Amino acid sequence: MSDEPLVTIRGLTKRYRRRAAASSAPVEALAGVDLTIERGRVLALVGESGSGKSTLARCLVRLEEPTSGEIHYEGTEVCSLRGEALRAFRERVQLLFQDSAAALSPRLTASEIVSEPLEILGRGDAAQRRRRALELMETVGLSSAEADRRPLDLSGGQRQRLAIARALALKPRLLILDEAFAGLDASIQAQVAAVLQDLRRREGLTYLCISHDLALMSVFADEVAILFEGRIVERAEAARLFAAPAHFHTRALVAAVLSVPPLAEATATS
Amino acid sequence: MKLPRKLALAASALAGVHFAALAAGFLAPYGPTEQSRAWPYAPPTRLHFFDEEGHVHLRPFVYPLADDETRAGGYREDRSQRFPIRFLVRSPATLGGPGEGWRLFGVDEPARVFLLGTDGFGRDQLSRLLHGARISLFAGLLATGISLGLGWVLGTVAGFYGRWTDTLLMRAADVFLALPWLYLLFAVRAVLPLHLSADQAFLMLVLVIGLVDWARPARLVRGLVLSARERNYVLAARGFGASDLYLVRRHIAPQTFGVLLTQAALLVPQYILAEVTLSFLGLGVAEPVPSWGNMLAALQRYHVLSSYWWMWAPGLALVPVFLSYSALSEALHSRVGPASP
Amino acid sequence: MARLARRALHGLFVLFGVSVLSFVLVELAPGDFYAEMRLDPRISEATVRALRARHGLDRPLPERYLRWVASLARGELGYSFAYGTPVAPLLWPRLRNTLLLTGTATAAAWALAIPIGVWWASARGPAVRRSLSVLMATLLAIPDILLALALLLLAVRTGWFPAGGMTSVGYEQLSRAARFRDVVSHLVLPASALVLCVLPALTRHVRASMASTLEAPFVQAARGHGIPEWRVVFGHALPAAANPLVSLFGLSVATLTSMSLLVEIVMSWPGLGPLLLEAILARDFHLVLGLVLASTVLLLAGNVLADVLLLAADPRIRAEET
Repeated sequence: MSDEPLVTIRGLTKRYRRRAAASSAPVEALAGVDLTIERGRVLALVGESGSGKSTLARCLVRLEEPTSGEIHYEGTEVCSLRGEALRAFRERVQLLFQDSAAALSPRLTASEIVSEPLEILGRGDAAQRRRRALELMETVGLSSAEADRRPLDLSGGQRQRLAIARALALKPRLLILDEAFAGLDASIQAQVAAVLQDLRRREGLTYLCISHDLALMSVFADEVAILFEGRIVERAEAARLFAAPAHFHTRALVAAVLSVPPLAEATATS
Repeated sequence: MKLPRKLALAASALAGVHFAALAAGFLAPYGPTEQSRAWPYAPPTRLHFFDEEGHVHLRPFVYPLADDETRAGGYREDRSQRFPIRFLVRSPATLGGPGEGWRLFGVDEPARVFLLGTDGFGRDQLSRLLHGARISLFAGLLATGISLGLGWVLGTVAGFYGRWTDTLLMRAADVFLALPWLYLLFAVRAVLPLHLSADQAFLMLVLVIGLVDWARPARLVRGLVLSARERNYVLAARGFGASDLYLVRRHIAPQTFGVLLTQAALLVPQYILAEVTLSFLGLGVAEPVPSWGNMLAALQRYHVLSSYWWMWAPGLALVPVFLSYSALSEALHSRVGPASP
Repeated sequence: MARLARRALHGLFVLFGVSVLSFVLVELAPGDFYAEMRLDPRISEATVRALRARHGLDRPLPERYLRWVASLARGELGYSFAYGTPVAPLLWPRLRNTLLLTGTATAAAWALAIPIGVWWASARGPAVRRSLSVLMATLLAIPDILLALALLLLAVRTGWFPAGGMTSVGYEQLSRAARFRDVVSHLVLPASALVLCVLPALTRHVRASMASTLEAPFVQAARGHGIPEWRVVFGHALPAAANPLVSLFGLSVATLTSMSLLVEIVMSWPGLGPLLLEAILARDFHLVLGLVLASTVLLLAGNVLADVLLLAADPRIRAEET
């Protein structure tokens, strides 16, 4: 594996103008973020609500445009991509949304959802797409019996896995998981974490895992970066971060975690 | 469950009425402009099964009309002759009639079967009611199609693209909605030529009624599109590189269809009434072509209003139509959700 | 008050938009008032041209619009060719009469809708609810034109009410009190037509709003405290249910104004409606314009009134302001 980081972010800034408020002072969601994502590893981005995590994720996949700054993916500048190049980039980097129920169209069946990216890009005919959808579902541990069911008939864990299957349809290299574990029961979290780890090993994927749950990230991720008020304030290997947090905000987050060991045991078994 | 039965009843009533309108040429015994000058304001012809001697006839018959010498303008039945109702009559081309063809029923000359009486020109009201239904009912339907179609397009564009497009369209909608609807309709009608042929008038009515009322459906659709646009699965599809057209077609538009249907059930009766109102005042379809509106115009004269009850038929016919649409909209409402945000 | 000011500004903007829209609309009309005259061989082309020039009909569109706005500022609202006078003096009495009719109808409709709706929502026995439901559904299905004609028939047949018009012959000779009674007797039928048309929709909404409020915990609590039912309903539930109803008020004004157009014509009530019909038939476009604007002003005024009521009724909105 090459030593070059997969993604390099420099000085990323995003400002919003709030509509309703009388004051014209804009909100700065990101205030100059510098971050690198190493190939084949899991980087966790931890911060509280409003710290700008989701904004960063969206900028990375071009769902939002940053106010200023640069994002490089494998050396190519991402923010200026258009047309065919943008489409190609979109196949490389995929975003997994937080609320799986909201991220899946209630009108479509499971196999239609998973094959939608292929449909959008016009890859293969209906039969080929369905075959691929079933393959992908198998990869995440969903049986073909679920193929014709609708998202609302599936459990939370199954929905999340379905979303993962969809994200894999275009064979991405980088997966951004936006609060992939939020709202799931602990046992389901373990299930999803297991699927993700397995996939990473087999396909050689890279993960950027966005979360507010520092405890969970400490066992799931290799490295943890802390996002505070739109800036990266600390970054270290997970264990070291817990042992010796440098920044005051990191210290506060660590202190807020009630108990780490039991969670580590639960996920270690899968 | 009461709901589906009510829905089925309403739907079949509407289907029946519309079919009758389309089959007017066959169902009506006379042409819509066919005049029987000898019999102005004749009351509805009575069907008899029993004759003077008390014998029963399986086939109903009518007595021909004769003038009643005791009352000016009155009629009595001439009991000296019986004319049985004939079914599946082949009718010759008559002046002002729909031409040669088959009719469901009729009677031989010189008797007449005016089941709903005649108007001041001796024209059979039942025939005019059936032919007029074509204009009134279908004007409402077509205008609804135009209004919802235009409203849907503009609402989707406003909701999907947002910002300037949205602001511009919604401000325009504000302006259109600031005018009382009927006044706006009249204003637009005012600028068009007064005297139009029947075809032109029908087209004009449909276009004017439909185009003027785009603002309310547009607002409704815009709201739905705005919320649908932000759903994560739409964003996800965008993340896969979906084009705007794909997103609208696959994810956003289907959300709007239910509401459009409910709106349709509310708008059609309103637009039928608009046609009736305009024609009633002489601004719609003009004589001699019948529409329920211009037929009602005869009631503006007091002696017609109070003496000839059968002339109310077009107005009374509106009631079951409206009831059916009302039941339809209620049924749709409970299945689909509220029609107003 | 900032909210009201914003709404008023919005209203002015809308009025401006309406004026432009109407003016452009009228300009699209093929032919103008003098088109008929042109067909008459006795009147020379030169005369028609001179007449048009005198009234500025041959100027470019923006200039015509500005001239019209200027006449608006002068209080004239353009020139009516059919009547040969500025539009404004024709409008005011008509506007007043329409306001009288719609105002009375609105007040009467709400005065009836609230008690009926409350009764409907709080009635214990299903019989009452069923019969009201059927009654309102039937009434809703009767078009306004039929209602107006039916009431006219009532007048013609029974003579209890005058069959149309606003005043009787010899009105000027009557005393103050007699004049008032005369107008009221003429007002009853057209106002009733309007009220009957709009009542089903209003009572339904009142019922719906009250029904959901009556289930609310604070109402149950009030009952539990032993407060008499009528007090609970009118003192506690109704004010809470008022918010959506006040928005409905604005809508009811819009519907009534629109309906009044037809009712006025059918019952010969001398409001904006009959004049509009005349203006259309005479192709007197400035008059049409003026009338359409007048009706819009009525509607906007009704909306502002609805806003004021909302401000007065809902303490949450008042708090937002302070």
